[in-house]
Amino acid sequence: MVMDCHNFKELLDSYLCGELAVETNHTMLCHAERCCSCRNEMAARRLLRESLRRVCSREKMSDHAMENLRTILRSEAGLGAGPARRSDEAGRRSWFAGLFKMRFLMSAAVVAALTLLIIGAWSLYVLRRGDLTNQQKMSRLSPEQIKALELSGSLIAESVGDHRTCAAHFVDATESAEMPDSVRNYDSACVRLDKIAAEGAAGLLLRAAHICDFGERKFAHLVYTRDSRLISLLVTARDSQALKSGQVPPFDGLTLGTQRFTRDHLALGAYQTVKRVILVVSDLSENENTALAERLAKPVAEHLRSAEAKLGLEKRVGRLNLRED
Amino acid sequence: MGQNDRLQRLETFEAEALGFSGQLFRVALRVCRDRERAEDLVQETYLQAWRSFHRFEMGTNLRAWLYKILFNVYYGGIRRERLELAPIEETIAETIAYDPPTPQHLTEEEVLIALERIPRDFQVPVVLADVEELSYREIADALQIPLGTVMSRLHRGRKLLRMELANYARNAGYQIAN
Repeated sequence: MVMDCHNFKELLDSYLCGELAVETNHTMLCHAERCCSCRNEMAARRLLRESLRRVCSREKMSDHAMENLRTILRSEAGLGAGPARRSDEAGRRSWFAGLFKMRFLMSAAVVAALTLLIIGAWSLYVLRRGDLTNQQKMSRLSPEQIKALELSGSLIAESVGDHRTCAAHFVDATESAEMPDSVRNYDSACVRLDKIAAEGAAGLLLRAAHICDFGERKFAHLVYTRDSRLISLLVTARDSQALKSGQVPPFDGLTLGTQRFTRDHLALGAYQTVKRVILVVSDLSENENTALAERLAKPVAEHLRSAEAKLGLEKRVGRLNLRED
Repeated sequence: MGQNDRLQRLETFEAEALGFSGQLFRVALRVCRDRERAEDLVQETYLQAWRSFHRFEMGTNLRAWLYKILFNVYYGGIRRERLELAPIEETIAETIAYDPPTPQHLTEEEVLIALERIPRDFQVPVVLADVEELSYREIADALQIPLGTVMSRLHRGRKLLRMELANYARNAGYQIAN
């Protein structure tokens, strides 16, 4: 990401909270060193945080309330005199204490027990059915397809990480973005990525388009929003670093359809080409995300597959020409 | 469990958990906007925490666990307001395109007034992040909302705060950098 004054100010609070990746922190500091106005803004926001902390810290619970709290805990633990909750003391039902009256607890307990019973039985049924379905699915996959699944799976942490640290900063972006031409240096097939994905991205707003570094991996990254939901479309190399074994499995991802995963409440859908992996990450439900990946990533995968095939053909023709010479 | 065991357990709980009462109270005060209610909320939070303390895994994040209980108790008390942003507040926050430079030289009182003017749904994440220094993930867990929503509310909340401060500074005749 290019660090200009606008990006700097957008990321500044997250920087002060220590929520940015080490690389981004470094870029922020480099920018602040060069730009006086941003340096002043950094100092002003630091001061504001300190003022906030000081002014909020002045508010303290009264000694009486603290003493009461200790008495209640002792009573609850069966170690002391009866409760001295403010609510009882004042002869009024407190706002929260009222919720925990015995009558409420009894009826809530009965409802909760019944609900738990029903949920438990249903989960057991779904789990058993799900296991069977997975086993059936796995038994239908070829070893190459399973390896291809593992490869996409091994990119989950980095994709989710990039979505979290990068995409989240564009949730309030108001301007639309375009993939810069400089992408050519990284991956010429991604230069028009925004245009290629445009048809599948109907209903989404493109908020950022750039090349990202996350850990040791580079991603071509398109960030979309729909309402306040964030969606990342990521393209990365299908290389030997993706798997711990260091080997790229033979390609059989074409027949797999959308590979789906969930990590930390984020859903991922993945497609593979011979040389690249395309991922869609969002906080939508897994089913919604898969449907979106089908729309968004599939045309990209098809474009990249044909670009790769064309490149392969050009290389073969080049080799033939050399032989003829 | 014998009386000695109970006493030892309670002492452990008090030693580990009561140190956070100040922080919990500050957040409760922002949420309830009333001292007595805030004290009740903290009291009820500790009571629930004590009842579930046997399930708490020592060495994990006790502060984040207490905040989660606090918001559970709070949401339980006013279920109808849970996760709901008043549409008008959402609109106000979205229409702010201008992000003013952060004014300096304002007094703490003025900062507090500006903070209190921000709608609660934006104010609470700002206090959790910038005063109590919870991570964005901890805030999402405590408020039971997605991480993206936390970031969006923080972004808007901080912007609203700067807007309030800038208005205040302008009215008071302070100079604001451009």
